Amino acid sequence: MKVFVLNCGSSSVKYQLFNMEDESVMAKGLVERIGSDDAILTHTPTGRSSARKVSSILDHTTAIGQVLEMLVHPEHGVIADISEIRAVGHRVLHGGPTFTQSVLINGEVKQAIRDCIPLGPLHNPANLMGILAAESNIPGVPQVAVFDTAFHQTMPKHAFLYPLPYVLYERHKVRRYGFHGTSHRYIARRAAEVLNRPSKGLRIISCHLGNGASIAAVKDGKCMDTSMGLTPLEGLMMGTRSGDIDPAVVFYVMKHENLTIGEMDSLLNKHSGLLGVSGISGDMREIEAAVNSGNERAKIAFDIYEYRIRKYIGAYAVALDGVDAIVFTAGIGENSPFLRQRVCEGLGFLGVAIDPEKNDSKGKEVDITGEGSKVRVLIIPTNEELVIARDTLEIVSATNSAN
Amino acid sequence: MRIRKVAIVGAGTMGCSIAENIGEKGFAVFLVDRTDELVEDAKSRVELSLNKRLEKWGITEAEKRVTLSRIRFTSKLDDVATCDLVIEAVQEDPNVKKKVLSDLDKLCHPKAILASNTSTLSITELAAVTQRPERVIGLHFLSPVVRVEVVEIVRGLKSSEETVEAVKRFVRSLDKIGVEVHDSPGFVTTRLITPLLNQAMNTLMEGVASASDIDTAIRLGFGLPRGPLEMADRMGLDTVLTSMEGLFRDLGDFSFRPCPLLRKLVRAGHLGVKTGQGFFKYDEEGNLMKEEENLVYQGARR
Repeated sequence: MKVFVLNCGSSSVKYQLFNMEDESVMAKGLVERIGSDDAILTHTPTGRSSARKVSSILDHTTAIGQVLEMLVHPEHGVIADISEIRAVGHRVLHGGPTFTQSVLINGEVKQAIRDCIPLGPLHNPANLMGILAAESNIPGVPQVAVFDTAFHQTMPKHAFLYPLPYVLYERHKVRRYGFHGTSHRYIARRAAEVLNRPSKGLRIISCHLGNGASIAAVKDGKCMDTSMGLTPLEGLMMGTRSGDIDPAVVFYVMKHENLTIGEMDSLLNKHSGLLGVSGISGDMREIEAAVNSGNERAKIAFDIYEYRIRKYIGAYAVALDGVDAIVFTAGIGENSPFLRQRVCEGLGFLGVAIDPEKNDSKGKEVDITGEGSKVRVLIIPTNEELVIARDTLEIVSATNSAN
Repeated sequence: MRIRKVAIVGAGTMGCSIAENIGEKGFAVFLVDRTDELVEDAKSRVELSLNKRLEKWGITEAEKRVTLSRIRFTSKLDDVATCDLVIEAVQEDPNVKKKVLSDLDKLCHPKAILASNTSTLSITELAAVTQRPERVIGLHFLSPVVRVEVVEIVRGLKSSEETVEAVKRFVRSLDKIGVEVHDSPGFVTTRLITPLLNQAMNTLMEGVASASDIDTAIRLGFGLPRGPLEMADRMGLDTVLTSMEGLFRDLGDFSFRPCPLLRKLVRAGHLGVKTGQGFFKYDEEGNLMKEEENLVYQGARR
């Protein structure tokens, strides 16, 4: 069975086609600059060279139409007929309090995704456009929504509620939702497999360190707490996002710099984090290079970044009443031995030790636990698309057998 | 119809900031003026504005580059032929505007919508010089365009529903709120703000309070970001005088009769922020000078 996985942004569509017999990726690609006369479709069939096409693509419906054409293309295609696609899985950013797991998309689900637009104003409208566009291109094929927030819905109330007037929670659903849920879920499950232990009783701290970064505390396979909040701005320091700050900084800066809400939003989301502190870049690779060449601002940016990860790990070790495994994933987590080393060096009190040689690894699944360590330390490359494909297959198969 | 390509004719203060705002929202934009020199000026003006916003963290370096890449600065009016919407933002003079609209009418494809950014003139009258009055509409942006969230959508007598709907959708896609108004001098915004500016000037002239105190009272008393005298300085006192004269002539209401102090300042060439002085003094960046300097300035002028 072939499953088509889509991640739609406001002017882009990322896709992967899975063959679920062996969970292999048949093709993947990207459409950029949707809405312009020179939109770019880059298509890579697995094991063959990429194809690139520039054309006028004005909306998501056309974009997905062109991707489908590419999938059956005589030269670059990977399937003989579109009808081989039996299901479509969509990444959806915000499921609000409604969705605790992935769901088959119907009219009600679409409305609920629409209702969550105020919570995810940048992503949810685009995700919805992608759903409608897929629907009009391959009508009748079942579609599944996989939410970035769903995995975190198991958090206890004392972890997800903010100490604010309760009425804000009732009236505007102001609470912690958390993001990267699909990734944390994959990590938790995969870590249990690698450790060869049942999820039950296993305490995992999952560190998703990419351009956006979040940490999740997972026990019995369920999320107990996570660092991102109502929006992806809370928690760790990130490439260009501040993460945790004193909320009063917002009013103080707005007043003294005479900023609008929009400018303040942009300051916190796009001009802060590694970029804001270092003044060099929001990319950890460039920060590390600058640290190595002795740049002081890069050094302090790196130190804050690393320190804040350790603070969260400490807090979550307490939240879980101990920790069995710490897992690093995503761009920085998978590819920065230096960061992992620095973080783990500072966790001696938890009994964490890593093997420096095993730690010298990039983008591969490795157990880097050192001798005598009381906590296992793993690198697991995340795979959100595979989770989406698996959920889609599972839900669609269950629906088919029920009918 | 769906609007994707937009031209702005007239690269003055308004034209530039309209182009910047529309480009930023993902549309392909042509910004047209008469000479290559004016076009170069326009380019550096848009760049300057984007740099200022970058400095205030409102946008990123990448967003600045993307916005600039979407705007084509040109002195060839022919380039507008492929656009779905053409907004004229030339000077507020009925004859100049009519000439531009009549030229655009000949150049643009028949389905294109022609819009005027006039703040006081009659859309019906402007539309009459074209062969497509049903596709002519008023689109009144307020300055500073990137910060002000409202746009007046002005129906001429013959503007079609289709035109109004297309323009409403366009305004929404700029993340702005469109207010629909019928053709009448000054529409809503100019008609209501002008008497306030005028009365602030009269109050100053009569010596009731100092310029700073008048502005502080109104600003804090009614929760406005700026007082009326600074507002007038920012609009340009010549522009304020022109629109007041127009409204006084068309509506005959004395609340629009221009304050003699305003005329005096305009005659002296003190046009507000753009010349560095009007009711207040401003630095090169357009920021209000410190209070002490403004007190000296106002004392000397009295």
